[in-house]
Amino acid sequence: MKKFTTKIITLLGLAVFLAVLLDLAYTTIFVYGFNRTKVDAVFHGKKEQYDVVMLGSSRANNHFVPSLFEEKGLKTFNYGMSGGHLFEADLMLKLMLERKYQIKTVLLEADLNLSNDQRAEGIASKFLPYLHSSKVIQQQFQNEADYNYLYYIPFYRYIEYDAQIGFREVYKKIKEEKTNQFNNQGYYPLGVKPNASMKNNISKLKPLQNHYYESIKRLCNQHNIRLITVMTPMCANTIGMEYFEKVQKLYPEIYNYENAVTDDNYFSSCGHLNDAGAKLFTARILKDFF
Amino acid sequence: MFFNSWAFALFLPIVFILYWFVFNKTKTAQNALLIVASYYFYSCWDWRFLFLLVFSTFLDYYTGIRIEKSTSEKSRKFWFWLSISVNLGFLGVFKYYNFFAGSFAEMMSAVGFKSSPFLLNVVLPVGISFYTFHGLSYVIDIYYKRIKAEYNFVDYSLFVSYFPLLVAGPIERATHLLPELKEKRSFNYEQAKAGIYQFIWGLIKKVVIADGCATYANAIFDHHESMNSLSLVLGAVYFAFQIYGDFSGYSDMALGMSKLFGLELLRNFNYPYFSRDIAEFWRRWHISLSSWFRDYLYIPLGGSRGGTWLKVRNTFIIFLVSGFWHGANWTYVLWGGINAVYFLPLLFSSSNRNHMDTAKLGWRWESIRVFGSMLLTFALSCLAWIFFRAPSISDAFGYIERMIVNQKWASQYLENERYNYEFVALVGLFVLVEWYNRTKQEPFSGRYSWLKISLGIITLLALGTYSDYKEFIYFQF
Repeated sequence: MKKFTTKIITLLGLAVFLAVLLDLAYTTIFVYGFNRTKVDAVFHGKKEQYDVVMLGSSRANNHFVPSLFEEKGLKTFNYGMSGGHLFEADLMLKLMLERKYQIKTVLLEADLNLSNDQRAEGIASKFLPYLHSSKVIQQQFQNEADYNYLYYIPFYRYIEYDAQIGFREVYKKIKEEKTNQFNNQGYYPLGVKPNASMKNNISKLKPLQNHYYESIKRLCNQHNIRLITVMTPMCANTIGMEYFEKVQKLYPEIYNYENAVTDDNYFSSCGHLNDAGAKLFTARILKDFF
Repeated sequence: MFFNSWAFALFLPIVFILYWFVFNKTKTAQNALLIVASYYFYSCWDWRFLFLLVFSTFLDYYTGIRIEKSTSEKSRKFWFWLSISVNLGFLGVFKYYNFFAGSFAEMMSAVGFKSSPFLLNVVLPVGISFYTFHGLSYVIDIYYKRIKAEYNFVDYSLFVSYFPLLVAGPIERATHLLPELKEKRSFNYEQAKAGIYQFIWGLIKKVVIADGCATYANAIFDHHESMNSLSLVLGAVYFAFQIYGDFSGYSDMALGMSKLFGLELLRNFNYPYFSRDIAEFWRRWHISLSSWFRDYLYIPLGGSRGGTWLKVRNTFIIFLVSGFWHGANWTYVLWGGINAVYFLPLLFSSSNRNHMDTAKLGWRWESIRVFGSMLLTFALSCLAWIFFRAPSISDAFGYIERMIVNQKWASQYLENERYNYEFVALVGLFVLVEWYNRTKQEPFSGRYSWLKISLGIITLLALGTYSDYKEFIYFQF
């Protein structure tokens, strides 16, 4: 039994050692590797200067068209992340400020995502390779229930989120395989989907006093960044539209553009404008604020 | 609690320590601990089904003794049929009732009678097919006087409920496992080391191969109507390795952890994809079930004795029943039927026992024929797996039709944002590892074992699928 105990301890030691090695290898590839995501780009960016930075979920990523801003001479990038919550938008802004970005205006989409104070696992995981390399990322995750596992157990974060930051992603980084995340200055235009359902039910959503929205407001205030927060359009056949009024009551400073585009022909799905709709909507934002 | 869960990673060492350091004085103490552990393990799924397991155990224990003690043939038959009918009754109600009721309603509707069948809203108790077959073989063996009834309830309970094989086999025989349970086990370093290696290899098969293949197979099968020929062929291959990695991985883990407790279970898989014909495939795939059907169904029906048509009938019966055992769906029955059809040429030519040894390849012409026959057998099994995996028979035929008609053999981007060919290299590497280790139960032992185990751990950590958790396929059976 003594021999077997030694064998087990050695095997466990070997597993820990290999986990440390793999963690080092993966992290090195992320820290020094090719940019495939917006998170990578911001982590590797330094002292970038922007007139306008767009943040939010897919309803920012698919709705704000930077090229229209650029036509007006405003250097703009859409850092909206599909599937993301305000946790990630807040962290993205913090990371930009840590990387000494100089930003004049933040255009934030905050509507349906105000109902959620949690991190979006799939998107937040893209920050995790930099957990030991960025103070703000470490601080953002510090209050998460699994922080100790993520921070202290070698390779745990790469196992837990293998689909996002695991072997495939590392391999693609090594291969320098490009993604479409940086096309159109970060904006992802949606096409017309003929059979898309133009119905939605948001009646169960309740806007929260959102911790991460508050944090974004505070950061912008501290760094003299103009913050424009908007609610973006939904298709007409949405049950529970009063949600937007509730947001307005909770946060009067958020501009309600839910009705800025109403024709379903401008939607790709009920919650997302197509390219034509996005351009129409962005033109309206430009006209009203810039 | 799955074998590849964190909860099990805690459970197994605790049971191991208690087993060898606290409950190691007597065989009864060892068995009692394993029963408690097994019942706890089973209750982690649904504690209510524990009553069913205990009842089934008690029924077979009691009827076994009554059969042995009966002085008249009438009484022996009574207790025998009582056990058989209650066991099959449970299986019928939980697993097949809704299927038969639904099929009957469909049949009536086809001839113009509308009916709304009464369907049961119950979850299938996990492992019911496995522990029921344990009990059945035990009672049948007593009835035919092949074994003596077990009078020690603790030993018998452990035979039925032993946690490594409780939910997905291997289907053990009383003649094999009970004698092991009647002896006090002593710790054996070599056996335990082999157990650890086999457990790790099983884990790799499940987490790396099966779950990795599942990611691609699911994307292809779920959208087969928009897939090209190459994707559909790859989908069938991925599923073949998914189900193999999943089930043989589970079996390896069960066998491996049993070695940690000083117990040797029946081998369930013996590199089936290196078979040279379908008969060999079935001697190497899910061996404990194949041999169960052979001993308790095929041979009693007359087996290979009698005329050709009797053999054909018996072959079809065991394959169809085997298909139906897997699940209450016509797709499984058809899968069994297809395998029976594959078997017929071997039966007619009396060549079903041609390949009893392990396949070998070398630099000689004969190897081309051997390699070709292995490829053909694999292709045939892949074709049959399509019926096993598809949700309905029409989906399976649609899948095959498109595979033949489409004729586009290019790479394709799947719904899950992966290319159809991405996992082929890893599957190929896995096949090579299996081929070079096909005389052993796992690839780590022997020379350079530290190097091989290190590569195994790296593979497990780096290439495993963890975020998209997939249950063991055979738990549903």
